[in-house]
Order: sequence, then structure tokens, then C-alpha cells
Amino acid sequence: MGEVASNPEKNDRKFALPVDSEHKATEFRLFSVATPHMRAFHLSWISFFACFVSTFAAPPLIPIIRDNLNLTATDIGNAGIAAVSGAVFARVAMGTACDLFGPRLASSSLILLTAPAVFLSAIANSPAAFLMVRFFTGFSLATFVSTQFWMSSMFSPTVVGTANGLSGGWGNLGGGATQLIMPLVFSLIHSSIGSTKFTAWRIAFFIPALFQTLSAYAIFFLGQDMPDGNYVRLEKSGEKHKDNFSQVFYHAITNYRGWILALTYGYCFGVELTIDNIIAQYFYDRFDVNLHTAGIIAASFGLANLFSRPGGGMLSDFVARRFGMRGRLWTLWVVQMVGGLLCLLLGKIGSLSGSVAVMLVFSVFVQAACGLTFGVVPFVSRRSLGVISGMTGGGGNVGAVLTQVIFFRGSRYSTEEGISLMGVMIMCCTLVIMLIYFPQWGGLFCGPRKGVTEEDYYLSEWSAAEKEQGFHKMSMKFSENSRRERGRKGAAAPVQSDPPTIV
Amino acid sequence: MKLLLLQVSLLLFLLKTTNGEVLFSSLPRSLVVVASAMEGQVLKAGEDSITVSVGLNQTVTNQTDESFKKVKVKLCYAPVSQVDRKWRKTHNDLKTDRTCQYMIYDRPYDGKVEEFKWDIEKDVPTATYFVRSYVYNDADEEIAYGQTTNDKKSDNLFVIQGISGRHMSIDIASACFSAFALLSLVGFFVIEKRQSKIKS
Repeated sequence: MGEVASNPEKNDRKFALPVDSEHKATEFRLFSVATPHMRAFHLSWISFFACFVSTFAAPPLIPIIRDNLNLTATDIGNAGIAAVSGAVFARVAMGTACDLFGPRLASSSLILLTAPAVFLSAIANSPAAFLMVRFFTGFSLATFVSTQFWMSSMFSPTVVGTANGLSGGWGNLGGGATQLIMPLVFSLIHSSIGSTKFTAWRIAFFIPALFQTLSAYAIFFLGQDMPDGNYVRLEKSGEKHKDNFSQVFYHAITNYRGWILALTYGYCFGVELTIDNIIAQYFYDRFDVNLHTAGIIAASFGLANLFSRPGGGMLSDFVARRFGMRGRLWTLWVVQMVGGLLCLLLGKIGSLSGSVAVMLVFSVFVQAACGLTFGVVPFVSRRSLGVISGMTGGGGNVGAVLTQVIFFRGSRYSTEEGISLMGVMIMCCTLVIMLIYFPQWGGLFCGPRKGVTEEDYYLSEWSAAEKEQGFHKMSMKFSENSRRERGRKGAAAPVQSDPPTIV
Repeated sequence: MKLLLLQVSLLLFLLKTTNGEVLFSSLPRSLVVVASAMEGQVLKAGEDSITVSVGLNQTVTNQTDESFKKVKVKLCYAPVSQVDRKWRKTHNDLKTDRTCQYMIYDRPYDGKVEEFKWDIEKDVPTATYFVRSYVYNDADEEIAYGQTTNDKKSDNLFVIQGISGRHMSIDIASACFSAFALLSLVGFFVIEKRQSKIKS
């Protein structure tokens, strides 16, 4: 069927999992570490988890750090904003780097570049130094993009939502786990080694720093960019064309769907980051729980990521089987709207147990929305997948910066008012999903345009000259594999009839 | 007349404390507290010490120290160190008040003028302070206080310089590991370059 691939050895290669024509796995086996697919999965979620642990290592130790460095509430707030703002541009840059150099090199490089910021946190001596280390450590959250890119390169459209959701969710778990890990490490050092409090927190920071460094090594030596090898090797053998940066970038920023998803991601993931930063203080101040209890409640918000974000990804894949891309978009819209409603409710509830209950349900919905978003992202562009992922990811951080600056800084709004208003903003910003339209599959309210195929959409990213040179081969294969996004009803719809896909 | 006033104030005081809530504004300043730290003096945590003496305020005549059972002396934040720091906020309700967070001493009250030397602990942060003392009754409720500063907390304040917590070994380890991470990165690029040369 179709033309035989140029390299006959490639067809004979055996993979541990069943694969499609791009050699992306069509199944997801969680407990396997088989090269290259499942190994890439485990490397990516563990390294992303390490970066999250480092970025949010400071919040649970703030009561100690604020006394040691003589921080004011403004200093703490600014450092929290700095921690999430660095990644706004780093995520876009990471997307570009993945498109050009491959996720393996891009992510291990970033992780090693930001590890010094975590090591140097141990010697911070002033509010300014504290802000700087949190700012630079926060850049490491750009590994999110390489994680999603890597999963989209290794897993077929049928399971890409699941792969993205699990790797993203289990990485985000770090933000919750750190609220338990850091205080534990701190008290071990304080009581067992007998260091004073102001020394113990400093030593504690070496743990996330070392973990992060080790994960970079693991990615570099054990990982592989694509099912068939690393970019370097594939480019030399001609199987992969080394793409042109400005073209990749241009096709990403001119695709309006990338911008819409960037905005909506700001109101699920951005909200999640904001909550990570403010929720412990909220429970501590409003309900008079002690800091330890507030930390546990804060941790449970982040720990819901264990199943809620992956659940969103799996749900996306599940609805796509029957309803295709339109199902993915509808589910995203509904889940994120409900998340906004629950956020609005959270600020209004005056009882502790009620608040914790609403917060937990809210966490499930908002994190599932994150997973659902990345069920759509892999289909927005094939050529510029990295930059689109980066824009969406960066948009998430912009949302976090915006909400913290508008609602959670200074004393304009009380924290509960801020939370409710944030809920309203979530609902308003989610409405734009109505504007997303894929000509080959449709949007929320409109069906697909007659006669438009997946090839029309993905190959439009390449010029005639580029197509003549055969640079677009991967997009051809992807178009074929993404036909499932039509859903069951669309299976009979037109297929590209031009050569070379005549049976 | 004096007796009536005393009875009324006692009644009001009791009313305020019937639900377990002790308000600072209801406490008489029955104690005199004198600390060795002078106005504007800078003391070092972990090195210096403060000598505090607490006695009954002789100028307040219509009071008796029969109900004084326990005395606690605390290190308290001055207003300048409370600015923009909600975790050190002064509240009238003593259960939620966060002004005084460090205990200097905690002893049963024996009527004599108490003098005590306290070595400033290493976890005391850099800030401006004054010293306050509370006396407690049998029910462990505050019933009177005394402090080294005036009512506005603007007089006779001193500074304590906290430790940095840094040690030479931490500084060196930090720098070395950071350098190691960056050198590893260079190493990765070298390896990648070699790989691409081999394959061509």
C-alpha cells in the first residue's frame, strides 16, 4: 500500500509496542520501560517532576526563609510572580529548540542551565537574591514543552492525549510533592544533623538541585528524540530534514488556534500555578489552621494531578474515538467552564471542610482541562509542533502572572474575593474556544468543510519549493494518521486523492 | 468612688474574658520591665545576651498581685518590623496576636523582683524589638502586662542581628556543583558534535 519507504531496513525494525507508519506507538503501556517510547515517557515525566519540585521548593519553607532574609509580604509575592514569569518566554524558546534540535538535547540543556540557580538558592542572602534565584529556577518549567513535544513525537494520535496528560500531570505532581518533601528534608536536617533553622533550609535545597542534575544526565544518555533515532543521526541520513527556524516560527505565530489555546491554557494551568502559590496562606489566614495543616491542604491540590490531568488526556482520546476533534473541543470547553464555576464557589464558602471539598473538586476539573488542552495541541500544527506547544505552555504562565498581579497582590482584594473573581475570569476566557475551527474536522458549532482533507491542512505549512525537495514527508504521514480525528461519522469523508497515496 | 470604679472595671474585665478571649486593651500595666538592651543598640543572635528584670508597678495603687500565678517574658516585634508582614501582626485578641513570638522566660510568680539573663537564640531573626512581660492567673489567662517601651511602641527599641545561616562549606559546595552542571552541559555539546561527525 502506497510507495515503499526509501530505507528498507527501517520497515524491518522491531519495536516493543505496536507502531504506526511514523513508528509512533499506538498503545500506551505504563509499566514498561521499553526503548524508545515508554523510556521517553518515564524520562520526561521524572525530569519535569524534578523541575517542578525545584521551582516550588521555596513556598513550603517560606516561614523560615522570610525570617532569615527579612522578607516582606511584597517581597514574597514578587518572588512568587518571578518564579512563574521566567518560563513565559523560556517555553516559547524551548518549543523552537525542540523543533530545531530535538527534545532530548533541548530539555537536558535547559535542566543543566537552571540547576545552578537551585544550588545557588542555598546561599541567597537578601530579598533581591531570593527573587533572582526563584526567577531563574522558574525557567526550568519550560521542560513542560519538551515533555509534550517528546510525547507527541513518540505516540500516535490515538494515545497522544493519554501520553501528554500522564507526563504533564505526573510532572505537575512535583508542585504538590515538594510541599511535603521540602519540610520533611528540612526537619531531618534540623533534628538529625542539628543544624540551626537558618542553615537547615539552605542544605535542604541541595536535594532538588541534585535530583534535577541527575535527571538531565538520564535524558542525555538514555533518551532518544524520535522512534527512529536522534535528530543528529536522522538529519545526516536524510530521513529528517533540518528545518528552517524562521519558517517554523512563522507558521506557528500565524496559526490563530495556537493563540487561542495559549489564552485558555492560561486559565487552567495558569490558575493551577497561582493556586500553588497562594492556597496555603489562604487556608492559614482565613481558617486559622496551622502552617503544617495548610501545607498538607496545599499539597493535596497539586497531588490531584496524579490522576486528574492524565484523566483529562484520556478523556480527550476517548471522546475523539466517537466524535473526533469536535468531541475534544467540546469536552475541553465544558470541563474548563465547570472549573471556573467551582473557583467562583471556592471563594464564597465560609467553612473549612466545605472549602477543602470544593477545592479538591476544583483541582480535578482545572487539571483535567490542562490535560484536555494538550489533547488538541498536537493537531494544531505538524511542522511547528514545538513552537505551538511552547506558545500554549507560555500562555499558561502568562495567565499565572496576570492573575497574581491583578487579584493577589497588595490589599485591593481579599484572598477570597480574588479567588471568586479569578473564577469569573476563567469562564470568560474559556468562551474563545468557540472560535477554534479546523476546516477538515470542524469546530464547536460548525462541521467540517466539504472536500477539505487533513493533507490540505498540514501540507499548507510547506511551500511548493519545499514540497518539491520532499521536506514535507513527515507531515504526509501525520495527515494519514490523524484521519481518526474525524470521529466515527467522518470515516467515510473524502481522502486526499493525489498521488502518491493511491492504493 | 474608687471602689466603684474598681468594681466596674473588674466586671468589664470579667465580661471580656468569659468566652476565653483575653483582649490586650483590657490588661492593666501592672508590671515594670527593664532590659539591659539600650535604645538603638544592635545585639547579635547566638552571641549576645539580654538581662531582663520584672517587678510590680508601684505607681498603680489599686491592685493586688494575689492572682498572679505565672510570669512569662517575651521578645516582641516593634511596629517597624511588622510593616507588610502579616505573620507578625498585632491583634487585640491575645489568642491570635502575633507580636511576641520568642520566649525569654516562663516561671511561676513569686512576688520578688525577677532578674534573668537570656542568651539570644540562633533562630531569632534580624528585626527591631522590645520586651514585654505577661502575668497569668490559675486559668492560664493573661491578667496584666508590662513592657520596656511606651504605649505607642516607639521608645527604647533595640535591634537584634540574626545569623545568616551560611557556612563556608555550603558556599563552596554550591559553587562547585553549579560549575559541575555547566561543565556537564559543555560536555554534552562536545559529545553531540562528535556523534554528528562520526555519522557523516
